[in-house]
Amino acid sequence: MKRILALAIVLAFSIGGFSQEHKQFISLFNGKDLTGWTMPGEVPGFEVIDGIMVAEPSNGSDIFTNEEFANYIFRFEYLLSEVGNSGVLIRCNHENPWETGVEVQLLAPWTPYRDDLHCTGSLYGHVAVTNRPDETTGIWHQMEIRCDRNLITVSVDGQVTTKANIDTVESMKNKHISGAIGFQSNHSKKGESARFRNISIRNLDLEPEYVKAGFFEEDARYRKPAHEAALKIGAPMIEPLAQLLSAKSPVAQSGAKQVLFDLVAESTAPDSSGTKKDAVAKSLEKSLRNCSEAVASQHLEWLLKMTKSEN
Amino acid sequence: MKKLTLFFNFYFLAKLHRMKPITKINRRRFLKTTGIGLAGLPLATNAITKITSGDKIRVAHIGTGNMGSSHIRWFSAFPDVETVALCDVDKLRLNDAKKLLQSRNPTANPDLYSDFRYIIDRKDIDVVTCATPDHWHALVAIMAFESGKDVYGEKPLSYSPREGQVMLGAMKHHNRIFQLGTQIHAGENYHRVAEIIQSGALGKINTVRLWKTGGTKGLGFPPNETPPEHLDWDMWLGPAPYSEYTPVKCHGTFRSFFDYSGGVFADFWCHIADIMYMSVSPENLTSIDARGEVPDDGIADTPKWIDVDFKFKDLDVFWTTKPPQVPNAENMHIGAHFEGEKGTLTCDYENRIIKIGNETFSDLPEVPKTLPRSPGHQRNFLDAVKSRNQPESNLEYARKMTLPMHLALISFRLKRKLSWDSTREEFKNDSAANFLLARKYRSPWKLPDY
Repeated sequence: MKRILALAIVLAFSIGGFSQEHKQFISLFNGKDLTGWTMPGEVPGFEVIDGIMVAEPSNGSDIFTNEEFANYIFRFEYLLSEVGNSGVLIRCNHENPWETGVEVQLLAPWTPYRDDLHCTGSLYGHVAVTNRPDETTGIWHQMEIRCDRNLITVSVDGQVTTKANIDTVESMKNKHISGAIGFQSNHSKKGESARFRNISIRNLDLEPEYVKAGFFEEDARYRKPAHEAALKIGAPMIEPLAQLLSAKSPVAQSGAKQVLFDLVAESTAPDSSGTKKDAVAKSLEKSLRNCSEAVASQHLEWLLKMTKSEN
Repeated sequence: MKKLTLFFNFYFLAKLHRMKPITKINRRRFLKTTGIGLAGLPLATNAITKITSGDKIRVAHIGTGNMGSSHIRWFSAFPDVETVALCDVDKLRLNDAKKLLQSRNPTANPDLYSDFRYIIDRKDIDVVTCATPDHWHALVAIMAFESGKDVYGEKPLSYSPREGQVMLGAMKHHNRIFQLGTQIHAGENYHRVAEIIQSGALGKINTVRLWKTGGTKGLGFPPNETPPEHLDWDMWLGPAPYSEYTPVKCHGTFRSFFDYSGGVFADFWCHIADIMYMSVSPENLTSIDARGEVPDDGIADTPKWIDVDFKFKDLDVFWTTKPPQVPNAENMHIGAHFEGEKGTLTCDYENRIIKIGNETFSDLPEVPKTLPRSPGHQRNFLDAVKSRNQPESNLEYARKMTLPMHLALISFRLKRKLSWDSTREEFKNDSAANFLLARKYRSPWKLPDY
């Protein structure tokens, strides 16, 4: 009884945590059709059957999200047929996905046996699994791929299988750090298949605190996308960036100064909506009230005047 | 208040005797001659003399870094110049400047200041040259004008368009002389190019392409430091926003920052736009569309590259960071390419290549020499100080020529095309762009109204 109670408590906590986090995930697959996805090849490699994305035809086209993502947590469930072979293509350009991105392997473990560098969960050919997952075919597994700037983490069924710092992997030096997400079509023989469901993503580049952390990156490869993400987020980014004006890090400070200016510039464009401009002005006012540092205040005041200037 | 009293004294004196307000040079000599102060002025106006060829022009140099050292060398070489004072906010530079001057002229014994206001306050100085960072150009010149001094000022003319307007107003109000330090203007090539283009030999010019290769480097991410003992950092910043000190923001690389300048573009625009203004005097600018990028490898925030399309009345002007795709341009790091109905002319500071049909020329001998040649850029200025006729790169001309550069940087920063009303000198329908035409000075500095 005690055991059951403990289990219930653990369960309650994890469900609670999960549901809160779950809100930030959005579904990438509507269960009805392939809206939001593209198959660039001539023969379709995927179809929707009973709410499941199924890859059955051999030599069919791989499938990719229309949208591009850089930093995210991507979750889905997969089921491989007996000797199924598929994979997830991340941070890729769908015109040459293996050159631009990498494949997180999904593979039946037999016929032939593949090593840790090529099994399910590996960054195929680049980074091996350190904790080989359950590779049982014919049942549903959950996979999570986390792309966090230079760190890629793969988990299967809740267990981390692979951790990669791509800066330390020579063969990944020229890989893109942003791009589409794709599934490989049936890469096994005819009659085999791979199935996908519950496909969702938490786009970290939409979250101000995550983006703010990117402003500290010494490497422009990771810092620049954070600047671009901040511009996309818009007014909600003003306060976190205003805080960075007083940061000890010159990297973060100068980036924040630039992006704050760019946000104000954009909001003051003659074709920009008044709502956008008001939101920026409001955030600047709030940031100014909370700012105790003189140089930062001086800059925020100047930006606020620019926002409020009238012809 | 002292300034005001001085002004009223001049004003009433001028009115009383129905003459132009007397210049400072005159007054200095007058004071010397009579040995009395301002109170006795009306009694002794006969003693006021014009500067004569035997008089020495008393010069002070403000800002003695790279360009300031050139000023010292250039001006000390003239027999009618006496260098009486040097000023720099960096004591090391100031000492070097004194040594430099004395190496040229062993008897020179300049007064040394770290605050230029001591020079402004001195009544025995006729001319100041200004080679400070850009954000000081306007105020130094305006205060010099107000105190009756003529100014040889480094380029770019000013930090903001508004400052250019005030400088012109102040100069006119105080009847002063100003020359912008665009010394290439004085050369033979620019005068000859202007003659050839103005002769109509190339037909009507419809397009000008200007370029300067290279742009701002990022400068890394150095930490802030305590300013060195020998540098008055607060004075260096002056009217610019307060900032912590780090060496790359100061000497040598300050142009990499929008707080003080506008990068390589702001640095070189006037050298090469000069030949366009000399030759075709573009009028009625209507739109400015800039594109470009800032560096991503450091704290610098001015353009790594910038391309701009300007539309003037009957003239398209394109600025690029790479040489344009026209013959002979690729080997010129800076240049201007004029496209006329009958031919083209490509030039830099010293060279010109004329193309008419399939033929290439370096000169068109049938075009007569009509423009008077400069006796040298600094000499031209000193002659103007004596004659009271404005020199070639005078403030009115320099301001007109500098303005499109400022407007292009505003378009670059705002990342949008801007429409310009050249009569009102303001952007159409863009309040943020208009806001950037001026910058409020950091207290206690104030940009006056003229």
